[in-house]
Amino acid sequence: MADPMVQTIHRDPALFYWILFPISIVMVLTGVLRHYATILLQPTPKKLTLPALREQRALLHGINLRTNYSTISLPSFLSRKNTLVAGYKNGEFLKDPESRGKPAGNPMTDPAAMEGMMGMMKGNMAMMIPQTLIMGWINAFFAGFVIMKLPFPLTIRFKSMLQSGIATRDLDVRWVSSLSWYFLNLFGLQPVFIFILGNDNAASQMAQQMSQMNPGAAGAGGIFQPGQDPDKLFKSEAENLEVVEHEYILEGVEGRILGTAGML
Amino acid sequence: MSLSTPLRQSNSEALSLAQQTTQYLQKHASTGTSIPIPFISYPESTEIWMMYEKLLLACLRTGDDKAAHLCLEKLIDRFGATNERVMGLRGLYQEAVAKDDAALGRILKEYNEVLAEDPVNTPVAKRRIALLQSLSRTTEAINALTELLESSPTDIEAWTELSDLYLSQSLFPQAVFCLEEVLLVAPSAWNIHARLGEILYISATSSSNETADSKTFAEAMRRFCRSVELCDDYLRGYYGLKLTTDRLLSALPNDSTITGQMVSTDNGELPMPSTTTVRKLNERATFKLAEITRDTTGKGLNYAEVVAAKALLDKSTQVRQR
Repeated sequence: MADPMVQTIHRDPALFYWILFPISIVMVLTGVLRHYATILLQPTPKKLTLPALREQRALLHGINLRTNYSTISLPSFLSRKNTLVAGYKNGEFLKDPESRGKPAGNPMTDPAAMEGMMGMMKGNMAMMIPQTLIMGWINAFFAGFVIMKLPFPLTIRFKSMLQSGIATRDLDVRWVSSLSWYFLNLFGLQPVFIFILGNDNAASQMAQQMSQMNPGAAGAGGIFQPGQDPDKLFKSEAENLEVVEHEYILEGVEGRILGTAGML
Repeated sequence: MSLSTPLRQSNSEALSLAQQTTQYLQKHASTGTSIPIPFISYPESTEIWMMYEKLLLACLRTGDDKAAHLCLEKLIDRFGATNERVMGLRGLYQEAVAKDDAALGRILKEYNEVLAEDPVNTPVAKRRIALLQSLSRTTEAINALTELLESSPTDIEAWTELSDLYLSQSLFPQAVFCLEEVLLVAPSAWNIHARLGEILYISATSSSNETADSKTFAEAMRRFCRSVELCDDYLRGYYGLKLTTDRLLSALPNDSTITGQMVSTDNGELPMPSTTTVRKLNERATFKLAEITRDTTGKGLNYAEVVAAKALLDKSTQVRQR
């Protein structure tokens, strides 16, 4: 475009006090509320029963042996490996040895898995409901207002981001509509929440999405995902252990010590 | 206030920590009781509660039972009396203020009841084992520990404790086994490597089989080597290295022609080290020990260990002069 004509829109200053401020304040307050609501909704971590704990730790034991075998001598390694592999294959460490070999049940009927899903549902609800409400509120009261002008120029690509709700083609991109201001707040308030609530807050939806990426990682489920058959995990771990080729870290350690001391 | 683990504190550190308790309690008097309001109330963090636990331990250690009780009450207020960790700490406090063995017996009964209800309560299970130890019922303690480790074989705290118990009963192979388990979880723990060497050394000195002895000494020497490889200037490691190499030098054939012969055995055992290597290692250990003990200020070294190392060095110079 050739002409750098500056668009001017005369805005009522009341727009600033009655739209820009309220939206921002409401967004911050909902964030804070959401933080406390999430804390309240959090289920208390379920306690593991002794057999379940044993099952998990037994698998971990095997993994540890597989990764750190080099610290112990060959005879010690072999005796441990044989015991563990035999135990894995016989299903000694299983939580309920009777149900071994049966196909894994539907995760929908597993109460533990259900609980995890309920937790996720609650988290989602705490995020969705306020968002829907505020979105509706803004649409009902403030739709179609141009409320501020950015102090810097932007390219045309930002038009859909900054001017949602206003169907004008020629308006300069620097003008921001109320609905867009809401979206900007929604995504950009994270530093404010960190300032108010501390680092591990649940106010922002970014954090929520992060935690949904790996559900169960922090939960009581531990290393077993719901619906996974521990027997199969044990079997594969037994195979992993069997192919380990042992080497001993103490072999030649004298030479290494003298080498670093420059005495060889 | 440092957040280092209470086990590694020296007595003086524990005392100074315990003396800060009253001050700390006043400063954080309001935390955790009211609803947290941003900006106004003191922000609650994990560190505060860790600090309370630490203060509790330091107070119990220095005999300040009153302040310890205040800390404990704070923790109970915040986490509830049914929290596992709080239950363990409460048991610790009760054990500390118990007057006689009968009172300890009552606490033991309490622990048994708690564990009968909830066998997964690890802190209380561990307290029970410690209590059995302090009642000098070592066999029961060992049994309880093996039971605990049966269900959680990755608990290194329990493995080290069991190793110490076995050592106190002179069951060396068992003690070694336990420490190997610890190494499987924490492969770079130089103190455990050195500890393993120490146990091997003790077992070799207390047995009478000569050929097996020198093999065990060689293994102990390699463990000490590994520990100083992982941690430079590790006093205990070099101390052990010097002891074992001294022993090996007197046991090995004193003739340098057979150096470097590598007889690798079929069952995966490492060959005996050559005399020259052992001698060099001995020189190295002596040198490092002298270097470490020369200037000990500000290194956080254990005083007793330094004195022992100096005594060892003096002894070896005397032998050489003779």
